[in-house]
Amino acid sequence: MIPQLSWYLALSAVLFTIGVVGVMIKRNVIAMFMCIELMLNAVNLTFVAFSSFFHDISGQLFVFIVMTVAAAEAAVGLGIIIAIFRNRESLDVDDASTLKL
Amino acid sequence: MTGILFILFAGLAIGCATSMVVQRNPLYSAISLIGVFISLACLYVMLAAPFIAAVQVIVYAGAIMVLVVFVIMLLNVEEEERRPLRLRFLIPVAVILAAIFFAETAFIIYFVQASPVTLSRNVSDVGLTSSIGGGLFTTYLLPFEITSILLLMAIVGAMTLARSGGLLSSRAAVVPGDQVFSKELLDRREPGDLSAVTTHTTKEAAQLLGVDKGTK
Amino acid sequence: MEDLKQIGLISLGIFVAFFVVMTMVAYTVLAERRVLGFIQGRLGPNRVGPGGFLQPLADLIKFIFKEDIVPDKSTRFVYFLAPLIATVAAIMTIVVYPFGPEVQIPFINKSVQLVIARFDVGLLYVLGVTSVGVYGIALAGWSSNNKYSLMGGLRSSAQMISYELALGLALIGVILQSGTLDLYSIVEQQAGHLGITGWNLIWAQPLGFFIYLTAAIAETNRVPFDLPEAETELVAGFHTEYSAMKFALFFLAEYVNMFTVSMLATTLFLGGWAGPFVHQVPWLGVFYFFGKVILFLFFYIWLRGTLPRFRFDQLMSFGWKYLVPFAIFNIVLTATLQWSGALDYVAAFLKTSTGWWG
Repeated sequence: MIPQLSWYLALSAVLFTIGVVGVMIKRNVIAMFMCIELMLNAVNLTFVAFSSFFHDISGQLFVFIVMTVAAAEAAVGLGIIIAIFRNRESLDVDDASTLKL
Repeated sequence: MTGILFILFAGLAIGCATSMVVQRNPLYSAISLIGVFISLACLYVMLAAPFIAAVQVIVYAGAIMVLVVFVIMLLNVEEEERRPLRLRFLIPVAVILAAIFFAETAFIIYFVQASPVTLSRNVSDVGLTSSIGGGLFTTYLLPFEITSILLLMAIVGAMTLARSGGLLSSRAAVVPGDQVFSKELLDRREPGDLSAVTTHTTKEAAQLLGVDKGTK
Repeated sequence: MEDLKQIGLISLGIFVAFFVVMTMVAYTVLAERRVLGFIQGRLGPNRVGPGGFLQPLADLIKFIFKEDIVPDKSTRFVYFLAPLIATVAAIMTIVVYPFGPEVQIPFINKSVQLVIARFDVGLLYVLGVTSVGVYGIALAGWSSNNKYSLMGGLRSSAQMISYELALGLALIGVILQSGTLDLYSIVEQQAGHLGITGWNLIWAQPLGFFIYLTAAIAETNRVPFDLPEAETELVAGFHTEYSAMKFALFFLAEYVNMFTVSMLATTLFLGGWAGPFVHQVPWLGVFYFFGKVILFLFFYIWLRGTLPRFRFDQLMSFGWKYLVPFAIFNIVLTATLQWSGALDYVAAFLKTSTGWWG
């Protein structure tokens, strides 16, 4: 029972879907951010699976760049979350839906 | 053997992902997400990509999630409250759609199984560090350099956002609607004078400053 | 069947290595107390066996029988998980260290390399696993529901992630020169004449070695960098609220981390199992390896008895403002020397592994 490419792609689709569901359901900003990271990882898995089944290095290089961009995005995103928390005293997304403080 | 390992790691990944979405306490969600990252790293090792697996653990599980856990601890994030379930009629619709999706996926997987693309073992040099390094510094040099500038931007951005005095330095003072001045210019009083300076309108501030705009 | 034999061999290797490392860690605790005692002008524990030989056993029995107190309002799942993460992450790193060269096992008549798992990103694996070990401390500080624990936990994890950076950068010099991330190959390249002259410490990476050593001491939360867990400072830091077996796990994790870092230092800088006459008598390599590790552990204990500790802001500014620029300077210097070919002359003389007496 050797794992096929389709198995990896199916797993990636399931993880991506769970991430999308999480972003839609959750109200806490940090939890939504974590679901976005889960979606990025599902796409990383697709890249690496294709790279190894077709013997092409480009997939893994893309994953490398995606991880770096995700790290940068995490730093800035959490900085924004902290700044919003300082102003509104709440991490609920529904409370941040109007422009007025 | 690899099939059993795949099912183990995939089950772990899906279980931790579901737990992350279902949990109401954000710290438990973060711990579940770390579990997802580590099981994905094990899957990368099975796909003959050891460098990417190690980088995944170092960057995602070891740096990004530490940042998230620190933020959760510092902001003392509460649990989400349970909310009442509205639109109850959508639950059967969701079950039917999920069953259709599941049937489609099983159909596709069954028919692909008939002509499998197998991963040849121990043959390729694809996942080795040397080939990644070679590709990164020759073909993909431009993305590499731009990524380093992106990281610099991220560092500067994070530092600016997290500053406690707002985006201005502490020596600047703002006249609302007019300009930004340095504090010595605006606040001309004796050192040691502890009475408060308050201006309520732009006109008052402009008068205090001495930049009256004539008859306005 | 071939798979099962492979798994069996690896499991045997893991059991043996685990047993050896645990025993050495237990006796490191005893050695620390005795050596600290001698530095401070007194004898350490010497009652329990001849010279205190059975003291670790007595400590183990005490830890097992102590009452396990759990704070009332703590987050229970995370409270139980934190010492597990710390211990597992500390112990998982021993699978990549080469304990010896290719030896002949006497009864099975097979020749085997004394390393449990040899894969070509071994060094990155060690860095990754020690990054995960930070969670044990951060989660322990949080879940104890105690502000001193939280402060200690946050300070300790901030210190660990800052010095991880300097650690990684210091290791890049070694990687540049050896051209591989595989620890076994790095040791093989350090054989040299008599097994001594090829060591990376002597001619290749002196600055890198000192940066690594400082960063490693800070990484394992030892004196002089142990403010977050010192008894006189923050009660006991992140493990204030832990008692009995969970405290024993944290204690164990700290000493295994010390051991891990010493093993990494001997592998990368001191030549691992290389030494005189290793090619003729391969089992000597194991003795050389553990001898060098014990040297490092003695150095750790010596530092604990001698130096005062840094204040937390001094510690952080030292890590970011001095150690990281030095490490980057080391990388640039190494890369320049490597690229210009200056190191090849020295390598040709010092690092040939078929020199006199190998």
